[in-house]
Amino acid sequence: MDAPPGRGQHAGMSFRPACREALGVPALAMAATFLAFGAAVQAAGFGLGWAIAASLFVYGMPGQLVLLAALGTPGGALPAVAGAVAANARFVPMAVALAPWLGGGPRRFLALPFIAVTPWAMAMRRLPAVPVERRLAWFLGFGLTSWTVAGLSTLVGHLVAPLLDIWFLAALLFVNPLYFGLILASDLGQPFVRRAAILGVAAAPLAFVLPAAWALLGAGLVGGTLAFLWSRHVGR
Amino acid sequence: MSADDLALALLVAACAAMRGAGLFVAGRLGADHPFVRWAASVAMATLAAFVTLAVVAPTGSLTLIPWQGRVAGFCAAMGVLAWRGGLFAPLMAGLAATLLVAMLV
Repeated sequence: MDAPPGRGQHAGMSFRPACREALGVPALAMAATFLAFGAAVQAAGFGLGWAIAASLFVYGMPGQLVLLAALGTPGGALPAVAGAVAANARFVPMAVALAPWLGGGPRRFLALPFIAVTPWAMAMRRLPAVPVERRLAWFLGFGLTSWTVAGLSTLVGHLVAPLLDIWFLAALLFVNPLYFGLILASDLGQPFVRRAAILGVAAAPLAFVLPAAWALLGAGLVGGTLAFLWSRHVGR
Repeated sequence: MSADDLALALLVAACAAMRGAGLFVAGRLGADHPFVRWAASVAMATLAAFVTLAVVAPTGSLTLIPWQGRVAGFCAAMGVLAWRGGLFAPLMAGLAATLLVAMLV
């Protein structure tokens, strides 16, 4: 009779399938977006090292784009950083929502570099069905793969930028919202997600009255808080 | 270190701090804790707002795609999702419709 799998084997049983899953449609969306970013960095006159560092260590496209755009304008680096931090402030609620699924020990901090919208959104769909002892391995497999795709795509984008039309790059960037829209739409059967999506869409016009850097987070805070209260009101 | 490199380093540190703060605060809470549910709701609503704005009122490079192309792409993606499910076919349909309509407009 076979011995039951040990902890490492459990982890491996989740890590590899998660890597494979990340190499499907999520990789396509990541590659398109980060390739476009790499090309945009090259067009703005920044080096390859800067582009790859931004993609791998910021790893949050709205903040990356805000920083890139703001550094080219007068006003200095600090306002550029403040705007980019605000644009990526969604990392806080995302990490809060993800943390309970990764276990209570310090090992959950291994996931820190990989918390971004694509791994987060897929993790929120998959982790509830993954056995507790395999969840961190699943996230690390998916996250590491997505992170690697992001870095390689940035490299390629920076190298091939002179060959690409700006209109083509815009189309590549549009893959990202399309992909996130599909992920949300796929989960609309869950009342909790449906309420958050409806009120997030309804709150989007707030972006027109809020300072640009805070627009997205402001809309999310209002829409998400109302959705949360709605869910509490109806009891689930 | 140039000002551009310093700005990037500061942003990297801030993003790591935001991720770390979230993991630290919620690491011992359950997935059904009200604070965690609220945070998940805010994150999902932020994502929905991001998609809405990218389609309806984008900024930056996305403005190069005419609104008809963005809306057609989004509708095509959702239509194929409702018809066939999955993610790849809807994504490709959305991208194809975006490019096609943008070229025709």
